Amino acid sequence: MLRDVTFGQYYPGNSFVHRMDARIKLVLTLLFMVGIFFVQSFAVFGFVTVFLLAVIFISQVPLRSVLRSVKGIVVLLVLTAVLNVFFAKGATPAEQPLWSWWKIEIYANGLKQAAKIFLRLVYLVIGSSVLTLTTTPVDLTHAVESLLKPLRVIKFPVHEFALIMSLTLSFIPSLIEETDRIIRAQKARGADFDTGGLIKRAKAFVPILIPLLVGGFRRAEELANAMNSRCYEGATKRTCMRVMKLGWRDYVAAFVTVAFFAGIFVLYAMRGSWGGVTWLYF
Amino acid sequence: MEIISLDNVSYSYKAYNDDGTVGECIGVEGVTLSVEEGAFVALVGHNGCGKSTLAKLLNGLLLPKSGTVRVCGLTTTDRDTLFELRKNVGMVFQNPDNQMVASIVEEDVAFGPENLGVPQPEIVQRVYEALSQVGMEQFAKSSPHRLSGGQKQRIAIAGALAIRPKVLVLDESTAMLDPLGRKEVLDVAHKLNAQGMTVVLITHFMEEVLDCSSVLVMNNGHLVAQGTPNEIFANRRLLDEVGLRAPRTVELADKLHSAGFNVDALERSAHILGGDVCQELTK
Ligand SMILES: Nc1ncnc2c1ncn2[C@@H]1O[C@H](COP(=O)(O)OP(=O)(O)OP(=O)(O)O)[C@@H](O)[C@H]1O
Ligand SMILES: [Mg+2]
Repeated sequence: MLRDVTFGQYYPGNSFVHRMDARIKLVLTLLFMVGIFFVQSFAVFGFVTVFLLAVIFISQVPLRSVLRSVKGIVVLLVLTAVLNVFFAKGATPAEQPLWSWWKIEIYANGLKQAAKIFLRLVYLVIGSSVLTLTTTPVDLTHAVESLLKPLRVIKFPVHEFALIMSLTLSFIPSLIEETDRIIRAQKARGADFDTGGLIKRAKAFVPILIPLLVGGFRRAEELANAMNSRCYEGATKRTCMRVMKLGWRDYVAAFVTVAFFAGIFVLYAMRGSWGGVTWLYF
Repeated sequence: MEIISLDNVSYSYKAYNDDGTVGECIGVEGVTLSVEEGAFVALVGHNGCGKSTLAKLLNGLLLPKSGTVRVCGLTTTDRDTLFELRKNVGMVFQNPDNQMVASIVEEDVAFGPENLGVPQPEIVQRVYEALSQVGMEQFAKSSPHRLSGGQKQRIAIAGALAIRPKVLVLDESTAMLDPLGRKEVLDVAHKLNAQGMTVVLITHFMEEVLDCSSVLVMNNGHLVAQGTPNEIFANRRLLDEVGLRAPRTVELADKLHSAGFNVDALERSAHILGGDVCQELTK
């Protein structure tokens, strides 16, 4: 049961989005995340929504799976938005509050800002989950390694970083299995994890953590031996089996996404200079 | 030609006593042995007698405190040739879960050749060759965690094979497996041996020892006997001394022999022995 945690969110498929190069997906997701902050009006949010829905549709991941990631943090998002309502002032000093009580004032502008922040955060989460839903953790690791390669110039240990990510991924399932086993073993000895106050429960986890930690060290030693036996000597002269090659999908997706966000950046840069069409800006 | 040779090798671990002093704990002591190329050697002995220590000495994971270990003409203590030496010694340990470095079978097997700096197209070729040697090609893209113990251990063997070693050391690689998984792994080992690979098999299962070309017996860090399985299993005094027990088939053949049946455990190798016993019994 715990096993399925491993593959995180990945939703197996063979769609256009799944078959894109992980590096491109990662970069475009980052572009999307930055771009979101340059969206000024609800009208443009409409465009972004259409864009996002189109991507989700192409990826063939059910909308429900995508929204599941939002569900987890919806409380946090609502809280952020609500706080924004209280702290925002009017768009102009002349704007009258819609409602006020003691020192609390609510402006129409505040409501708008809060709604936008809420939308931005939701889209951030959705955007990143489209990435993780369509890319295996292994591919993501490779993408990160490949994208960080330039950092080698400043002596950043890129290979080691990627190796740690990859080892972590491959050890999560066995650690989960082991945790499961230890919990059951401790329960069989009469440990009680399910009743009592917070402190009592927290204390009950010590007998799980200690064997897990000790086991972890043993594992690490065995793994180090296995890696040494297989001629591991660090990053020097190491080659890689995986070849990452850009295909037409990557060019098309990159072109469309970059064009879309270029448009958004242009709108942002020109805000205020087209007097008439305020719906694009507010 | 001799491929592994140990000359008076000793190794001791640091032992941290309860009173805070640091003592020594013997791993192996004064071991001298040699293994011919193409041999299938079993290394047996009770728990803690130094088998794993010996295995780790073979590829320089541990360096001898005294004596020399030479494999394929290279000495483990020579830092400059250690990499070269490890290329020649594939090692597979007991717990397959703790040997996996990647979460995709294919990439795990590729780890060795990647470390060697083999060019990409050849890595792919080596990986698939190694996987087909252990009969696991169809699992190339799957996750090791979804495989059975025997399958995982075969992947670990493939990972060692992809380096194209001359010697394969299996340190209790069958210990965690059920009889079927054990058979899978042993069959692979014997197939590789038939193709010329030297195999060192560390095991507690005496049935596995029957099929080997020679047996090394260890006791408390010392190498106490070396011989063919039949010689070793015929030596009752030795077996009692080191706390081992001959396989059932051999014991049965012995009993039949002393009861006047015409079976001779000493003269015949394992497979024939089984057939012999049956023949005699059905007469
Ligand atoms: N890392 C270590 N630190 C200290 N002592 C060790 C260490 N590893 C092994 N020993 C000791 O060295 C001796 C030989 O251990 P070794 O692991 O080689 O035995 P083994 O024959 O492989 O046993 P088993 O059949 O249980 O695998 C044992 O007495 C053991 O306690
Ligand atoms: Mg051992």
